[in-house]
Amino acid sequence: MANGLADRLYRGEANLNIVGRRNRWFAIAAVLVLIAIGSFVFRQFHLGIEFSGGTKFSLPASVGSTDNARSAVAKAIDEAGASTDEDNIGAAQKVGDGNDASYTVRTGTLSQAQSTAVKDALVKDLNVSPDDISDDRVSAAWGGQVTQQALLGLGIFLVVVMGYLVIRFEWRMAVAAVSSLLLDLVLTAGVYSLIGFEVTPSTVIGFLTILGFSLYDVVVVFDKVQENTKGITAGSSRTYAEATNLAVNQTLMRSINTGLVALLPVGGLLFIGAGLLGAGTLKDLGLVLFVGMGLGVLSSIMFAAPLLSALKDQEPRIKSHNARVLSRRSSRSGDVARGDRTRTTTEQDGDDVPAFAGSTPSTTPRPGVRPAAKRSTNRGGSAGNRPSGGQKRR
Amino acid sequence: MHPGRQLAVLGLLFAILYVLVFWGPGTKGLGYEERLHPKLGLDLIGGTQATYRASLLANGQVPSQQSMEESRKIIDQRVNALGVAEAEVVIEGNQNIVVSVAGKANDQLKNVGQAAQMRFRMVLGANGDTADSVMNPQAAAPSTAPSGSPAPSASAGKGAAASAAPSASTGGQGGGELAPSPSVSPSAEPTPAPSASAAAPAPVTADIKEQRAAIEKKVGKAAWEAAEKLTAPVDTTTDTTAANIYKPFNALNSAEVNALTPEMQFYVPTISCTQLDGRPSGAIDDEKSKVVSCQTGAKLLMDVAKVLGTDIDTASPQLDQQSQWVVSLDFTSSGQAKWTALTREAFQPAADSPCLTAAAALSSGATHCLVAVVLDKEVISAPEIQGVLSGQSQISGSFDATSAKELADQIKYGALPVTFTPLSSETVSATLGIAQLEAGLLAAAIGLGLVAIYSFFYYRLLGSVIFLSLLLSGLLTFGALVVLGRTTGFTLTLAGIAGFIVSLGVAADSFVIYFERLKDEIHEGRSARSAVPRAWARARRTIISANTITIMCAVVLYIVSIGAVKGFAFALGLSTVLDLVVVFLFRHPIMTMFANTKAFMSPRVSGLGRALKRQPTEKEA
Repeated sequence: MANGLADRLYRGEANLNIVGRRNRWFAIAAVLVLIAIGSFVFRQFHLGIEFSGGTKFSLPASVGSTDNARSAVAKAIDEAGASTDEDNIGAAQKVGDGNDASYTVRTGTLSQAQSTAVKDALVKDLNVSPDDISDDRVSAAWGGQVTQQALLGLGIFLVVVMGYLVIRFEWRMAVAAVSSLLLDLVLTAGVYSLIGFEVTPSTVIGFLTILGFSLYDVVVVFDKVQENTKGITAGSSRTYAEATNLAVNQTLMRSINTGLVALLPVGGLLFIGAGLLGAGTLKDLGLVLFVGMGLGVLSSIMFAAPLLSALKDQEPRIKSHNARVLSRRSSRSGDVARGDRTRTTTEQDGDDVPAFAGSTPSTTPRPGVRPAAKRSTNRGGSAGNRPSGGQKRR
Repeated sequence: MHPGRQLAVLGLLFAILYVLVFWGPGTKGLGYEERLHPKLGLDLIGGTQATYRASLLANGQVPSQQSMEESRKIIDQRVNALGVAEAEVVIEGNQNIVVSVAGKANDQLKNVGQAAQMRFRMVLGANGDTADSVMNPQAAAPSTAPSGSPAPSASAGKGAAASAAPSASTGGQGGGELAPSPSVSPSAEPTPAPSASAAAPAPVTADIKEQRAAIEKKVGKAAWEAAEKLTAPVDTTTDTTAANIYKPFNALNSAEVNALTPEMQFYVPTISCTQLDGRPSGAIDDEKSKVVSCQTGAKLLMDVAKVLGTDIDTASPQLDQQSQWVVSLDFTSSGQAKWTALTREAFQPAADSPCLTAAAALSSGATHCLVAVVLDKEVISAPEIQGVLSGQSQISGSFDATSAKELADQIKYGALPVTFTPLSSETVSATLGIAQLEAGLLAAAIGLGLVAIYSFFYYRLLGSVIFLSLLLSGLLTFGALVVLGRTTGFTLTLAGIAGFIVSLGVAADSFVIYFERLKDEIHEGRSARSAVPRAWARARRTIISANTITIMCAVVLYIVSIGAVKGFAFALGLSTVLDLVVVFLFRHPIMTMFANTKAFMSPRVSGLGRALKRQPTEKEA
């Protein structure tokens, strides 16, 4: 049966009822968003040195190497009992050449007393004169203005892309796509806040990468939805939600492939960054991308498409169409009591049902069996065997 | 289009790119291996770290944190305007700003700490730098003729040497429309005119009073009183006693000279340009007082500043009709009114205005007054105003492309609220280093490998098309990075490398879209030959709209954002465009060619026929 599912996935016929369960997805999304926002408020973010500034220690060249310098400062901080966690000790840098060279190490913000204590500890540990070691406050390198401009850019981008999507698709799709993007961003930020990962400039850059990727994914799904629902009101075989669900199923394999293909390099990044090097830029980036892109793939399927169908169901034209489809269906099958949920499944299975001249829609077919029969019909037939929708596949 | 033609276009692109890589601009003097190096960022290879110290305020206090942060921001913008480089600018301690950029960049960083206070002042008086001839009549008699060297005194005269001032050579920057003419001579004295425009003397602080008293003591009462009475430059050719009277002034240091009134600085014949040029930065920033400065060996007395840098809206470097670099200025609306008023005053001066004499002294035959463009301590140019200017204006000087852009950027991003002096410029090591770079590349290799394995597994031999085109976009990206690094200063940080690794995934995705479409087409029973163009038409639409969004994101972020985000946006845009290039010029033609082969439909080869192949077996089952 697992094989069967893979096979059906491969052909875009998994018939998973995703859109039909939309209220469940909305509920999950709402809960997650609430958790994320709660976390923003109560836990905030763990900001790196680049954002918050810190203290810089200068050590003489006699320390030997950048690694030694860093560990000396880490040790001194430990001895001085200054509370800053390991993450907040930046990489050491060698400044200047030859005899004038010195090593600098940045740490998180220390109070004046703390930094004096660290300095004393360094003097003792390294056995050098106090004049050789200096400590200075350093400001944030990533000024508030960078963030401000990036947010402004984000805002402008959202407006522009909204305009583009309205022209390219329609406003409901634009709203659904942008909402799904916002969901991705909020949830990714939520993961950061909740788990307490350090936010560095690399993280912010990675965060912005998600922007493009998330929308990219949604556009691919919506493109299919648009194709499947073109002229949907002309026929009466499928409701809008069902057509959307079909599109999602048809692009499901693509979404999985995309997710894998995009996440594999990021996984490599994360593996190398976290596994081999410990903390650092690669880990920061790998992590934010992994979380964000993973969410992007999921939300394009589980959130964007269901949201779109929910929005479309409010459109009068689609509303009357849906009603017509349902009434027609119930009169045909004479089985109103089945309820909408099951019916949705039935209909997707039977997306080719009209090909059978409406002879068998009343029984729910076993998914494993159906494709075989369907396929044979398909092979023998031409486009002519799909009279009603006409738009199902290109 | 015929598939062969598209591949040919791609080949051509490739050839051009790699010709640029090996023989393009900026490759001179590099070994062939070095020509293949992209410009790496501060985090990977280290760079240059320059420290600037803020001058103390007049009251001896360090500048406020607020004005330091303001300066940090402006310096950050200036440094980033030098290229798409990712620089780091931080405040250290109370009064230092530390700028770090990748690679060796001493020249570029030379001026980022400059205050860039811009003032427009009418020239009220001009006089040759007579100090040396006065002090040393035999050695350098006719030396008032500007010889092109900033201060004609460089070698001659112990007088100039006596001043401890560092000889900042700013004079050479002048020129432009104001051709240094030998007519600058003591004989062309402006008549001492108690002109209407003479503003009330600037308020004198107690501090200055004290300094002046000290100077009075130093130069002697006689000399001081004589200097105070001066209302015109002393004609030393006729008045031979002048040298003796004013001699002590030549021994003053630049700080002391700065404490004198502008009139004294200008009229006393023994005060040299070297002394004036050595005054501390910000010496002539005061917009409400007249100032003296030197330009090509002539001392200029300038009026109060009636137009300031803050009156300028934007500035940009331009080539004028004579192919000279100029800086074009757009004034704010209130600035425009002030500028028009100033140019009117200079164009139609009162007949007895001293500025006319000064203009005639500086450029023979001038019938209108000059307006000096002063940046910090330096007179950039002092053109004769040829009409009332009510629109865009230009500053000319001896600019080249770089210095014109630098000045435009300085004006555009505003003046620093504090003046800075460069303290040191040192090399710094990488924060991450080559180990991280290698790890990043290893991650890229692993990622690429995994994608390749997956695509071979899933698409069988068609996976090779994915693999090849990923390789191709990799090579294109690399070439573009090398060329851009040299020409625009685009630096590759570790974050950038990670970004490109991610773009691998996105590039592979456009293949997935295409193949899935193709699969659907074949699934519907089409032949490979008809399925390929149909799938292409559908997939193209999707790929273009999806990539359009990514490009929009890149463009918006590039325009709006600053700093590292700008660099990221550039990388994002670049990789997306290259992705499109590969999709259109490589993958599509290759697939079209593939479709014509028999093997294409075989499930073993393409992974596409699997859907078809399954049917009969299932039917039998």
